[in-house]
Amino acid sequence: MTSPDGLSPQTPDHPADPEVPWQRLHPLSVWASAAVAGIFLVPSAIVGTIVLAVLGQYPWVFFPVPGSLAFLALTTYLDLLRLRATRYRVTDERMEVRSGVIAKSYRSIPRERVRSVDVAAPLYVRVFGLCSVTVGTGEKVGSGGSDQLQLIYVTAEQGEGLRRDLLHRRAPRRTGDAEGADGSGTAGAAEEEAAEEEAADEVELARLVPAWLAYAPATAATLGVGLGAIAALLGLNAQTGGVGWDWVSGRLGLPTPEQMSSFVMARLLMVVPLSLLALLVSGVVVLTLAAVETWWNYRLTREADGTVRLRRGLLTSVSLSVEGRRLNGVTLHEPFVLRSVGGADVRAVATGLSAADEKKTSAKSRLSPGMPRARARALAADLMREEASPLDVPLTAHPRSALRRRFTRAGFVTVLGTVAAAALAWAHGLANQTWWEHAIRAEQEFAPVPLATPVLETTPTWGWGVLAVLLGVAAFWYALGSYRGLGHGLHPRYLVVRQGMAARDTVALERSAVIGWRITRSPFQRWAGLADVAATTAAGSGMYAATDVGLGQGLAWADAAAPGLLEPFLVREDGGGASGAREREGA
Amino acid sequence: MSSDAPRLRPPHHRVDRRAVWWWTTRSLTVTVVLTAVPVVPALIWAPPRSWFLLAAAVIGGLGLLITVVMPQWRYRVHRWEVTDTAVYTASGWIWQEWRVAPMSRIQTVDTARGPLQRAFGLSSVTVTTASAAGPIEITGLDHTVATDVAERLTETTQATPGDAT
Repeated sequence: MTSPDGLSPQTPDHPADPEVPWQRLHPLSVWASAAVAGIFLVPSAIVGTIVLAVLGQYPWVFFPVPGSLAFLALTTYLDLLRLRATRYRVTDERMEVRSGVIAKSYRSIPRERVRSVDVAAPLYVRVFGLCSVTVGTGEKVGSGGSDQLQLIYVTAEQGEGLRRDLLHRRAPRRTGDAEGADGSGTAGAAEEEAAEEEAADEVELARLVPAWLAYAPATAATLGVGLGAIAALLGLNAQTGGVGWDWVSGRLGLPTPEQMSSFVMARLLMVVPLSLLALLVSGVVVLTLAAVETWWNYRLTREADGTVRLRRGLLTSVSLSVEGRRLNGVTLHEPFVLRSVGGADVRAVATGLSAADEKKTSAKSRLSPGMPRARARALAADLMREEASPLDVPLTAHPRSALRRRFTRAGFVTVLGTVAAAALAWAHGLANQTWWEHAIRAEQEFAPVPLATPVLETTPTWGWGVLAVLLGVAAFWYALGSYRGLGHGLHPRYLVVRQGMAARDTVALERSAVIGWRITRSPFQRWAGLADVAATTAAGSGMYAATDVGLGQGLAWADAAAPGLLEPFLVREDGGGASGAREREGA
Repeated sequence: MSSDAPRLRPPHHRVDRRAVWWWTTRSLTVTVVLTAVPVVPALIWAPPRSWFLLAAAVIGGLGLLITVVMPQWRYRVHRWEVTDTAVYTASGWIWQEWRVAPMSRIQTVDTARGPLQRAFGLSSVTVTTASAAGPIEITGLDHTVATDVAERLTETTQATPGDAT
């Protein structure tokens, strides 16, 4: 393998810098881990002892407590070895970490490759005044294959110092760093001074407005519960004598409420609405609490050197810093439910927010909780430092054939749904009394009150038809929404793509961050004159596509977005560039 | 669509003609293995034998069809080109893909030869950029051509400043 840039992380062929001393992790980190393990282990060992004593298993009574203590001692000892073996330092050019008790490892990354620094302090670590530091590099470091360097744990001051030193391109303040491990007074004073100075030239981009937490339950999971709530409303309707349904069915000539409700609601009336309400309330409570834990103390700031810093968290406080020039864009993320209540959240398109783990990426790249859409758009514009927000660029719609493709798919789903419904209706017609009795008995095995089978039994066979029609309507509505979501545009510094129905993402990506193009066409796309035109980039998910764009339209857009890159490989419609130009003049 | 809508022109160079045989061999191997899967139980159990044999026939038939069609189709699609400023490739058969990467963004260049490729005197060149979209691969090149391409790419990218992100 050849590495043209000569910066392969495996080769420690840099000039050794004996000046900068190696630092250790904080000794307390071992005791922090031990205390946490002890909190879980010792009580369970005591409970074990009591249980064994009650059972009269005498020789064994003396096992759990000493056993768990020995285990604790062993893990603590191993942790101590790990602590002793781990050293790190930040020189003028590199960050270096030595670790490993048995298999020694040495990892070194040039400081200019540091993309993000993530300082996390879960509650049980915070009480010891410690934190963990994760340094994201956006590329694999060493043979371990991870693109991150982790230090578990260092003091909060060391963490803050690392965060600042690694992202601010200035030499590490050696006096402070050398003594940092001991947490000496001078180092602390220096930190405070620096922190004050920093706070002065920090620009606040966003701060938590507690009302935003109300957006937290607006997810698809709660929508499921919300659908249940509609069913509960129907139950309520039947309970109040079905006035509303009377009116509707009177107009449309549908079966009377007696016919409908007598079978479904007779005894389910109380059970169904109550359980649904309970589901809804508990769903909202759980989601809101989770949002409070995640987003409490939320602050998004930009520091003097352009570094964007996110701070959040109630029990686990998180501080994530992304170097300004590594923040290559912003995603406005609007999941369907959040979108329908007018909310959106903002995510970073940044290099070095670990691209390896998709889940982690989305967690780390989230720069805001759900907030009102206008606020989210303003925040996105602030993050990109643009007066005219790239998100306000008018987006070009994709060709009609993209809509036809989506309608074809919806039609396919409808046909499948109709066939399935017909098959079920046929089977429904065949099932006789004894069959239903067996089914009800079977359901009773699983649930105390059988709900599904009685409802099914009494539903007329045309109910399946209704279901098929509803499915068809939903499929075409989804297709239309998904087509309307498609769009692409250009801002002087950013390219913008939008897509998605279930979750609509509007991505603004810096045009200078585009490092290539990938055009793919399926047979259907070739037939319809469409293509997926994707910009590849080092940031975020690595590729952002204009989906089902007209081939000519998409290529013209890509060519304009990164001038010169695609140009040599393009021809105008009828072959030669010259003849194409002539034709244009004629037209 | 307007008359001056741009289109992609195919890259200049085709891959080596021997790649057709390489793809054929590869596809044939896969077909033989997959066809053998239902044949084994067909030899052991008598009663459902006809069903297993039917499955084997369907898999074998499809596999042979692919083996006949795919290599020719791929040979018509697969192309590559290295200019002073960029690498440009086309690949695929039913689903097709075009990739462009500028020289200034290339991080590493590798050549690789699997045992089967070596039997046909072929090599592939893998060009990695900083993107998670995956590397650009030029497969089925003559070995000497592949070595030349890799050398040229390495020289050009070394001459280009920047950290390729």
